[in-house]
Amino acid sequence: MSYGRFLLKRVLQGILVVWGVITVVFLLRFITPGSPVDFVAPQDASQELRQRIAAELGLNEPLYVQYVDYLVGLLNGDMGYSYIFGQEASAIVFGKLPATVELAVAATVVAVVLSIPLGVVSATRRHQPADYGATTFSLLGISTPNFWLGIMLLLVLAVQIDLFPVGRRGIAFSTAFWMLFEGNVSGMQTWLAHITLPALTLGTYFTALITRLTRSGMLDELGKSYVQAARAKGIPETLVRYRHALRNTLIPVITVVGLQLGTLIGGAVITEQVFNWPGLGQQVISAVNNRDWPVLQGSLIVIGTGFVLVNIVVDSLYAYLDPRVIE
Amino acid sequence: MTGESVDRRSFLKLAGGAAATAALAGCTGDDGGNGSGGDGNGTGGGGNQSTGGDQGTELPEPETREEYLQRANLLLHDQAPWIFLNRQYSVYGKSNRIEWEARRDERIDAYEIVPQEGTGVRITQSQMDSGLDPHDHRETTTDNIVLQSYEGLLGRDADGNIVEVLADGYERVEDGTVRFTIRQGVTFHSGEELTPADVAFSINRIVDDEVGGLVSPQSDQLSGVTGAEVVDGERAVDVSSDGINPIVFSLFASYCDIVQQSWIEENEGPFINSNMNGTGPFQLDSYEQDVSVSYTRYEDYWREPAPAETLEITAAGESSTRVNQLLGGETDIIVNVPPQDAGRVQENGNTELSPVPSTRVIYNAMVYNAEPFDSVEFRQAMNYAIDLPSIIENILAGFADPTGQPTLEGFVGYNSDVGPYESDPERAQQLVEDSGYAGAEITLHTPVGRYLGDLEIAQAVAGQIDELPNVSASVRQREFGTLAEELLDGDISTGPSFYLIGWGNATFDASQTIIPLLTTDGALTSYSNEEVDGLIDQAQSMAGEGAGSGDESGGTTEGGNSSGNSSN
Amino acid sequence: MVSPRTIRNLKREWRNNWLAKIGVALVVAILLVAVFAPLLAPYNPRSQSLEDSRLPPMGFTETENSTSSQFVNGSVQVVSERTTVNATWDHPLGTNQLGQDMLSRVIYGARTSLLVGALGTLLAMLIGVPIGLVAGYYRGRVDDALMRFADVMLAFPSLVLAVALVGLWQQAVWRIPDPFVAAGLAPSMPPDIVLPGTVIVVVGLVTWVWFARVARGEALSVREEEYVKAARSLGASDAFVIRKHVLPNSVTPILVLGTIQVAAIILLESALSYLGFSGTSLSWGFDINQGRDYLATAWWIATVPGLAIVLAVIGINLVGDWLRDALDPGLGGEGGSGA
Repeated sequence: MSYGRFLLKRVLQGILVVWGVITVVFLLRFITPGSPVDFVAPQDASQELRQRIAAELGLNEPLYVQYVDYLVGLLNGDMGYSYIFGQEASAIVFGKLPATVELAVAATVVAVVLSIPLGVVSATRRHQPADYGATTFSLLGISTPNFWLGIMLLLVLAVQIDLFPVGRRGIAFSTAFWMLFEGNVSGMQTWLAHITLPALTLGTYFTALITRLTRSGMLDELGKSYVQAARAKGIPETLVRYRHALRNTLIPVITVVGLQLGTLIGGAVITEQVFNWPGLGQQVISAVNNRDWPVLQGSLIVIGTGFVLVNIVVDSLYAYLDPRVIE
Repeated sequence: MTGESVDRRSFLKLAGGAAATAALAGCTGDDGGNGSGGDGNGTGGGGNQSTGGDQGTELPEPETREEYLQRANLLLHDQAPWIFLNRQYSVYGKSNRIEWEARRDERIDAYEIVPQEGTGVRITQSQMDSGLDPHDHRETTTDNIVLQSYEGLLGRDADGNIVEVLADGYERVEDGTVRFTIRQGVTFHSGEELTPADVAFSINRIVDDEVGGLVSPQSDQLSGVTGAEVVDGERAVDVSSDGINPIVFSLFASYCDIVQQSWIEENEGPFINSNMNGTGPFQLDSYEQDVSVSYTRYEDYWREPAPAETLEITAAGESSTRVNQLLGGETDIIVNVPPQDAGRVQENGNTELSPVPSTRVIYNAMVYNAEPFDSVEFRQAMNYAIDLPSIIENILAGFADPTGQPTLEGFVGYNSDVGPYESDPERAQQLVEDSGYAGAEITLHTPVGRYLGDLEIAQAVAGQIDELPNVSASVRQREFGTLAEELLDGDISTGPSFYLIGWGNATFDASQTIIPLLTTDGALTSYSNEEVDGLIDQAQSMAGEGAGSGDESGGTTEGGNSSGNSSN
Repeated sequence: MVSPRTIRNLKREWRNNWLAKIGVALVVAILLVAVFAPLLAPYNPRSQSLEDSRLPPMGFTETENSTSSQFVNGSVQVVSERTTVNATWDHPLGTNQLGQDMLSRVIYGARTSLLVGALGTLLAMLIGVPIGLVAGYYRGRVDDALMRFADVMLAFPSLVLAVALVGLWQQAVWRIPDPFVAAGLAPSMPPDIVLPGTVIVVVGLVTWVWFARVARGEALSVREEEYVKAARSLGASDAFVIRKHVLPNSVTPILVLGTIQVAAIILLESALSYLGFSGTSLSWGFDINQGRDYLATAWWIATVPGLAIVLAVIGINLVGDWLRDALDPGLGGEGGSGA
């Protein structure tokens, strides 16, 4: 199978999964007690008014008609109107998306930058203090609830010593970025000051996870015969480690990271709550509490679709690095 | 219960003009005393105080509207449909960069904020707006955002007195009709002038489902109002009501924001919900949904332009986040400083507390037809079981006043002879035995973070009840949205039978607490008692002192009346 | 199922692995605490005494600005005074804002965490393992359909889906009489163990996919084994083959995954409780939520239960690592759905 065909197949699979995501999200409303009308109608609404609202929301149609309407709407970028805010749900959802993406990307950068060196050092200096340090850190990292970590960081770094600002996004990355072109670095500084603690909070679990994977992967690879052979041939140790062993280690690591991306987004939900970060996660929670179905459904679909997209990218990368998986 | 009430009513009829309130207490089977704070007999029409004993002192028949309301409050104290808790304080934190006085009605009027350094002001609330359409919401948090740009016909000063805003005169034309004359020279932010047609349209958009492309959830805030029309040839609008509607001016002092008819009609809902075109002191600069709202001051405002040039309103749900933002100099005013952080705000040097008693009463409803709360002894026992002063001192750091009736002090209809229940666990235990519900297990449903210390209050109440040997109580945390949905769905049996909630009544009139919460047909009722219904019906058919005669005088005293409430 | 070789491997890994020993010690300790909570807790975790609120843990002294207000001449006067609060041995871990004993609450919180972790994992196993086994055994269309469905479930972050489901559904609470209290051994303790039913069901529903994937992998490889082929050619029914051959071979990796999942679900439960979607107030996450508002004035209310979570999850993860290293079920880094 060629790389192109592999990609095509992967994309088609992805579309199928996204359709499944939409269907599950759509059906969610029908396995939830209560009617949306209770949340939309004024408290003293008459029975006729409730009927009228139900009709306006399309709730009186048979299930399959509502389903088809919803699918057609989505294809046109229409997620319906928020029950609470009176705006298009898609505008709300996509308005919140950048904040979450910023946070998730920042956390991933933190994780990748910290974890791979840690894992490598840990594996190559086995049973030395650096290894113990890295192992302890990663054990703590995967065992600590990230919301609690966030609270503790706030307690120490924002409340006790006033190092970081608290509880605001400050400035959007895009705004800060454009300010750079005008020679203004203050926007970037504000952005960094506000995102540091949330990104550390969200990135810690991932840092720890990738450190562990890199360490055990490196240990495996370093014990393999091709490494011994390379060493015997007199290839410099750094080259053996980084050109061969690390590369082979990272391939499976990438896959696991892709699969764990859900954890990252889940973590973002709660990190946003701790740091008052106005992203999709906060939106999901408030939409659940308000039974704002169009916004809730839209948010879940965007999150699910994002996950599928990233995994397609990861798989393509994987197949590119290691063409054997295509077969 | 029902049968007994009927008996009481027949008794009232037989007794002619005098009714023995003690008999009402007596139907509780109360062994002598009653729960009220004082034993003295009320004097004049002011207070009607029950004394102990089955055939106690007879109370005179009420004569004025206020006396009917006071009688209802006394009756409700004795019947204990609630565990009476506290009057909530609005505890704001403010930086020393601004000068500002907190209002009692939970509104923040940015026009009153005077910056001492710089020209901009930032306010941090607990949550953002639910869209900017001034007629499509019910929450104080949204009010605080839209009311910087929109104004009503009448308003209130910081003490709650009615003042003229977009109306420069108002009078009662006949029983069901009042007339507002519309101020000259007022412009919308779009630049166009305010017309009487805009005013009539705004009123009709709220009360008439067919007008303005909206079924407004505020129609009951203008209760009784049926419609409005422009008076031919005059710069005035006539508003008609069902019946006398004694509190109609109060309603317009708290509610009904004026919008521009053409602007509403030419734009779609999503646009109206993300833009503003009012007559107020601040115009919208930028709107980031659920994140922040920025304003600049409106230079052509009909009064002096606002002292602050720019205004930004943001939100942080966690109270600790708000406090830290204030202490860190990131904001100028924060709402709901929790008691435990009050000391930090006060001692900081750059910030201070600005507490003010609000118009919100916090209570635990006990649904009258659900076991074990269908027993009045049991309900009274719950009131005796708690130690309200300790809750106020230890949980709320004194930022609250105890209550013993639905109506707050200073409101029309407040009965000054009725005090809070005393803490008396032994009596509570005895009353539970008498009620026949010994061994009952009850669950108190409470929202979290909605009111100052709500969860802590609920936990303390449940904990203290649980200490009675013959009742066990626990707390269930609820999301406010779902709890409110269950309470508001019009079916008393679907909701929880025991819940904590707060009721804000910016009208300073007992009727707007008792009617929705404690009469048979109330929107949020947990109680039904024919006597209460009767007393309130009587009160509402009589003109109050303010509305009946004092219309032309413009502002009325607190004794005038006003209406407005929200459960948020 | 558990062969002598497995036992040997476990023993071998045990001997030179002090991390495994720490892990087992932690898990055993927490299990004992959870089981004997009514006997160990010095106070009823729910009983409050407002006068003793916010006492610091042993070794700490807290200076607090206590504020009170008075209504004078129509305006509210704020009075602030500085007081020092000392810790007392009566409450070694301090008290919370209601004067409840933190130590007792941490002890009872272990029950909620472990029960939700164990029951949630069990439910996820009961859903995921059969689906995975069937998919892997039959391959083809059944496999495709089931695995695509699993992909759909995987596309939702478990916390996000759990928040949606717990938030949208009614909170069901299961009460089980506490045997110690029923036997009269701890009369002043809460009479019931309160289980957050909706939370348990939901964490099971959002994590079964991991079990399905592992079970499927095992079934795929076992069905190709010679003895399985032989059994089938002798006419054994599919159900028989799955039960007798495929399932036993999958037990090891499923157990290892199950261990890790208990830790993941404890984290998930604490996150849900923190967000206010909790069925019980005796939960570590709930207490952290409570302590959030007291960070500046009573830091221990949020700190102590957080440490308890970390200890419990570290213990379980260490045991999981030990099992994985000893049994080498080939899980790699898969599994886990930590919050």
